[in-house]
Amino acid sequence: MTNYFAVLDLPETLGLESSTIENAWQAGARKHHPDGGDEGGETERASELNRARATLADPTSRLEHWLALKNSPPPPDRSISPALMDLFARLNSVLADADAVTSKLKGSSTALAKAMLAKEAVAAQLAVQKMLQEIQSLKDEVTDRFEEFESDAESGSLAEASRGLAQLKFLRKWEQQGQERLLTLLDC
Amino acid sequence: MDETLIIGIDLGTTNSLVGVVDSGFPIILADENGNRLVPSAVAFPPDGEPLTGREALRSGTVAPERTITSIKRFIGRRFSQLSEAEKSQAGFPLESTQSDGIRVRIGENAYATPEEISAILLGRLKTIAEAALEEPVERAVVTVPAYFSHSQREATKWAAESAGFVVERIVNEPTAAALAYGLDKLDDTQSVAVYDFGGGTFDLSILQMRNGLFEVVSTAGDTQLGGDDLDRAVAEALGNRLPPGQLTTEQYETLKTRAREAKEALSEQETFTVRLPFFRDGESFEIELSRDDLEKIVAPVIERTRPICQRAFAEAGNKRLESVDRLILVGGSTRIPLVRERLETWFGLEPNLSQHPDEAVGLGAAIQAGILCGRVRDVVLVDVTPLSLGIETFGGLMNVIVPRNSTIPTKAGEMFTNAVDGQESMTIRILQGEREMAKDNWLLGEIHVPFARGPKGTARVGVQFALDQNGILGVLVRDTATGEDHVLEIRDSAVDVDDDAVEKMVSESIDHAFDDMNERVWTEAKMKSEELLPAVGSALEAMGDRLSEEEVGTIKETAAEIERILGSDVHDAKALKAANQALDDATQTLAAMLLEAAYSEPDSSGPSSSSEREG
Repeated sequence: MTNYFAVLDLPETLGLESSTIENAWQAGARKHHPDGGDEGGETERASELNRARATLADPTSRLEHWLALKNSPPPPDRSISPALMDLFARLNSVLADADAVTSKLKGSSTALAKAMLAKEAVAAQLAVQKMLQEIQSLKDEVTDRFEEFESDAESGSLAEASRGLAQLKFLRKWEQQGQERLLTLLDC
Repeated sequence: MDETLIIGIDLGTTNSLVGVVDSGFPIILADENGNRLVPSAVAFPPDGEPLTGREALRSGTVAPERTITSIKRFIGRRFSQLSEAEKSQAGFPLESTQSDGIRVRIGENAYATPEEISAILLGRLKTIAEAALEEPVERAVVTVPAYFSHSQREATKWAAESAGFVVERIVNEPTAAALAYGLDKLDDTQSVAVYDFGGGTFDLSILQMRNGLFEVVSTAGDTQLGGDDLDRAVAEALGNRLPPGQLTTEQYETLKTRAREAKEALSEQETFTVRLPFFRDGESFEIELSRDDLEKIVAPVIERTRPICQRAFAEAGNKRLESVDRLILVGGSTRIPLVRERLETWFGLEPNLSQHPDEAVGLGAAIQAGILCGRVRDVVLVDVTPLSLGIETFGGLMNVIVPRNSTIPTKAGEMFTNAVDGQESMTIRILQGEREMAKDNWLLGEIHVPFARGPKGTARVGVQFALDQNGILGVLVRDTATGEDHVLEIRDSAVDVDDDAVEKMVSESIDHAFDDMNERVWTEAKMKSEELLPAVGSALEAMGDRLSEEEVGTIKETAAEIERILGSDVHDAKALKAANQALDDATQTLAAMLLEAAYSEPDSSGPSSSSEREG
């Protein structure tokens, strides 16, 4: 398995600043870009650099890759925290509301009918934005524990880190769903 | 590095250009008459060689159905993907090939595919370059809209190869324009958005420029939205101002040409008279058009670019770029003052007009060619893939393997195993697009992954999907036992049905289309009326007191007219459509007031400012 930390010449640590990752990628991109390099083999190298940045720039996939490099077993249990459960329940109803407005908007072909729905659309948009903020703060709660995960790992335990990963994966998925809804609302 | 000359080609929907880097500067090459823009038109006279460019357009007045323009709209697409509107508005007869490709009828029993027609154009550009440079030219960089799919890119590449080129790179048009903008700013660090609104396509790309490193952060677009659509909207509006009566194809084409002239003139002046001498039954018409009229007509088309921009900004925001320093306009359609005005309101950025809207892409193509042949140094260009790439899961969903806006080149691997004992191979369907269901995305083709015979779950085959610098996909299969790689052919999976069946399918769909045209238009218009009438009622209730008595009167009269037409026994589709339009127009102020009320409520930050900064 490719070690993406090594590809970018970075230490194998969770607490990387995004600017550090950016700078490492830039240096590599200038050096190994297929157009600047000698011949074909560079495409391979450039692909790896791009994959490495994409993996490490996102905290969720960074944690996943870090755990995979440590051959971590899957999390001991699949339970998610009550806070996450609560968020999930509320998120679903917010998303359903947004979908309902979207389909009403899509179904109306005249400017006037759309305008009649504008109030509802703005409310749905604000509700989704609020959920996204909540998701972000829950994500931050996990990423704030990255240092803790590292010291755990030194003493041989990866359980908390892989629980954190499970949470982040849920949150990332919900975040994408929310962002997608916002954009669809704007498309109408 | 190979130092033979490489030229850059902008193969546009309306116009094409060829350029080269000379003593460190990109230049556009002119033909023997000193023209740098070559109209993207090809004409097929009944006898003799095809004509291209201006000559083709000139012959178009004699034989419009043998003169092909805007062929780029059809390159690399399937016949079954085309909408009825696209087929009827093409201006020349389109048919399906046996394998669902597109072909144009260019004469008695004579056909040409969009790729072949593009190849003829590219051949002309090759001749222009060779004459201007006085040496044979073989290697080329060709631009495509950023939002072009794998298939459209492949088709463009194929067309260039048929014209005798070795294609060194396919470059995205807005990226090329950014290169042209940034070439004299190599020491700077800035972020730019390129708004590329051309003849047939629209793209918005967001780039970061850092000391000669040009990196595309995100891109979004619509490959079927451009100046053509503006012309069509204007032509339709002109048609509505004529006395009632059906238009022939030739008359519609004339209207479109006049519409385009009006559109171009009204970017410079305030009023324009559209003259239609001997237009119908020897009768001549004159239509007075003001810039205000034009803006009312084209505003909805321009509005369609907005959510696309918001998408690109949102994705850039997700990827570390919160705002941009410059907004660069390219493409002929950005000459329209309303486009510039809207952009300023939407994004709070004053458009940067330093680039020539028609030439920036061609110059950028020349620069990329210069980078590849060593004539331009210290510039590195890194682009993204516009569309997600994935495979179909068992449930019929799209499983994304390379997400959109991933930096290219890139690759991603998946492991596959045999699901039953002794299975020898499996078929994987490769898709491109953003929809959740596999069937809604673009099917690039299928690959067959071979398995070694064995019990269920024992085979291990790694499949690697690699997108190269051109955004073109390659698939590699790695046998984990031997470590050996095989390049897999992506089979275009359009089914080959026999001739008769295809003919039957085609004729059936045509019969059906003309059969009940009036009834279909009526049903559509009726649905619109039924939506509009109650909305008018409640909108008047909510806001009516803020309108003048006269305005309320007009609205009520127009609504009553619709009721009258709906109640009549004869289904007059055209009258109903016109009445709907009248009510739509009459309620514009009302709609605007409702929108304003919704967005100005406490706590609401409005639709644009909220999404752009999302992330």
